[in-house]
Amino acid sequence: MELKKICLVSLISLVILLVFGVVYAQETIELQVWDVFDPATSFDAVAREECFRQYEKENPGIKIQHNILVYADLHEKLVVAGAANSGPDVLHMLGEWVPEFALMGIIEDVTDRVNVWEEKQYFPDSTWAVANYESKCYGIPSIASPRVLLYREDYLKEAGFDGPPNTWDEFKTVAQKVTQTVEGVYGFGFCSSSNAVRGPQEFLPFLWQTGGEWVVKDENNKWIPGFTVEQAEEVFNFYNDLMNNLKVCPPGSIGWEYLELDNAFTVGQIAMCHNGSWMQHYQEKAGEAFQHWRGAPMPANKNRATYFEVKVEGIGKFSTHKDEAWKFLTWLMGKDQMAKHTRGDNLPSRTDVVSLPEFQEDEWKKPFFAVIPDGKPFPPIPMAESNKAMMDELQAVLYQQKAPAEAAESLLARLEDILEFINE
Amino acid sequence: MRQKGKDYHLRLKQALAPYPYFIILLVLVGALMIYPLIDGIWLSFWQKNLLYPTRDKFVWFANYRKLLFEDEIFWLALKNSIIFTAASVFFEYLLGLGSALLLNSKYIRFKNFLRGIVLLPWVVPIAVNSINWTWMLLPEYGFVNQVLKVLGLGHLARGWLSDLNWVFPTVILVNVWRSFPFYTVTILAGLTLIPKELYEAGQIDGTTRWQAFRYITFPGIKGISTVIVILHLIWTFVNFDVIYLLTGGGPLHRTEVLPTYLYQQAFSYFNMGYAASIGVFIFIFLVVTVGLYFSRLSNFYGNE
Repeated sequence: MELKKICLVSLISLVILLVFGVVYAQETIELQVWDVFDPATSFDAVAREECFRQYEKENPGIKIQHNILVYADLHEKLVVAGAANSGPDVLHMLGEWVPEFALMGIIEDVTDRVNVWEEKQYFPDSTWAVANYESKCYGIPSIASPRVLLYREDYLKEAGFDGPPNTWDEFKTVAQKVTQTVEGVYGFGFCSSSNAVRGPQEFLPFLWQTGGEWVVKDENNKWIPGFTVEQAEEVFNFYNDLMNNLKVCPPGSIGWEYLELDNAFTVGQIAMCHNGSWMQHYQEKAGEAFQHWRGAPMPANKNRATYFEVKVEGIGKFSTHKDEAWKFLTWLMGKDQMAKHTRGDNLPSRTDVVSLPEFQEDEWKKPFFAVIPDGKPFPPIPMAESNKAMMDELQAVLYQQKAPAEAAESLLARLEDILEFINE
Repeated sequence: MRQKGKDYHLRLKQALAPYPYFIILLVLVGALMIYPLIDGIWLSFWQKNLLYPTRDKFVWFANYRKLLFEDEIFWLALKNSIIFTAASVFFEYLLGLGSALLLNSKYIRFKNFLRGIVLLPWVVPIAVNSINWTWMLLPEYGFVNQVLKVLGLGHLARGWLSDLNWVFPTVILVNVWRSFPFYTVTILAGLTLIPKELYEAGQIDGTTRWQAFRYITFPGIKGISTVIVILHLIWTFVNFDVIYLLTGGGPLHRTEVLPTYLYQQAFSYFNMGYAASIGVFIFIFLVVTVGLYFSRLSNFYGNE
């Protein structure tokens, strides 16, 4: 008898649970958001998380499921999920992923939605260009962050310079003088890991500064290399001078990734580097020295140019809640929300947020806003293979396994091969 | 006649009785091993790049032709894989055997504590292990170079993971350090199973230490040694995480091994068909190598 009662109560409980479960599932839409913003590590990520909770409160029935990954894992997870016809509702992307993901067909074409979105006008064309591939739009630009020459004013002053270098020649002189004068400090540091995310973002601006482009389209609308052997050689020579001839970079720094570079600048091992606004992260770790951190335009050669990193938020191709995802995304990219989640070390893409007094008066952000006109994004082609070729050849020069001229020729030949496949 | 038929049915029932229990195993092995293997082999005959889904086409052996006759990096990665595996397994076995003999010695005290200490590198997750090493091996602020400087050996300090001549030995060293405790524990278990009487009989016969090791200890752990060496030959040859986390295969492909090259083709360039052909090559290479090793070994044991 007792057993019967227990069974009956269990059965009824199970039915009630099931009914509630079904009702809850019907009434609640769970939006899967995949990004890199960990509230444990940055002020902006905390603000973003607060935005999510606010949206849930204002939209009962929507639940934001936030999945946080680092960039490399996020990229891989998106590719693998996409290959299995699944993935998130809302995803955060580096600008250079847009062509890849568009080709793979794992992100939603939102051109029609964007065209009728009345807030489209607040985003500069240069940021929309990154969210577009082959005249179709795949998301909304969220963070628009150009790189500057980040330098230690105190080290430069100690070496006898009142301001940052303006040209490549001045740059070499300053780097050399700092290395010779300031004890334990090297003039410059850069990324050159063969798998570096940041390496190509530093290499390409030097190439752009010689007047070259990475790729351009020819009269038949085919991609071809946009630089000459001489231009690539000039860049390799520049790197080679810094590393091997002038020895203004820390020994053993060949193969550095961004963590090593950022840390080296933070602890004061190097006086100058090519870097972004996220370095504000390290304020606490840098201590007193942070007050000597300054940003300036990258030194010019024939041109002035820097890398313009635009991050894009899109909708997963296999999302089953695309309308809800779009509504959420446009809300998150709205003026008020963006002003919250880019107030820290990120830079907003919206012009009406950039023009807010708290952003205009922010001393840290000022040099970054100032170099936006010099900024260029990566060209809209899949970059992984050509990035690898670029870094391989750079390493060959740095390790003195190849002369700059030989590396330049090899880089051009490898790029031609890669483009041949892309153009097929 | 009817009785005979009954017996036959009973025997058949008894003979078939164990097989239903294999169904779950078969389904699991089929779904997780055999299907992916066949799918991988099938994929290796395709030109399949995730970036260009419309360009998928069946290309027969084109991926293998490119791999074996046109791809220099593949041969470099194969050579590195063989050196990495042979050197790792050799030194792991030496260290594992040495430490197991030491821990089995009657002169050693606090054996359980020492066993725990020896096991530490193996129980720490590979990712934590490797990332710790990358920091310890940093050129300027790395622990290893700092220690060398304190010891007055500053001239030996270098970028262990960026120096072209030192990066490969360094990666092997880290892998050996991480893996040898497994040998220690396994060999130690084998050593404890050798009857003490054999050593006592040997002592009466006047055997030297080397003879005791050669004719009593080593034959006693031969079986277990074969198993761990084979397992580690396979595990090390397909090891991805240690090298990927330490160097990513660089600099200049100096530490590129087949698994890192496969990963690069699959997840950096999305050449799934080509990556599958590398995977199939690894599979065939291992089957042949381990098969040869087994046949040599059985000849060796048979002749002994």
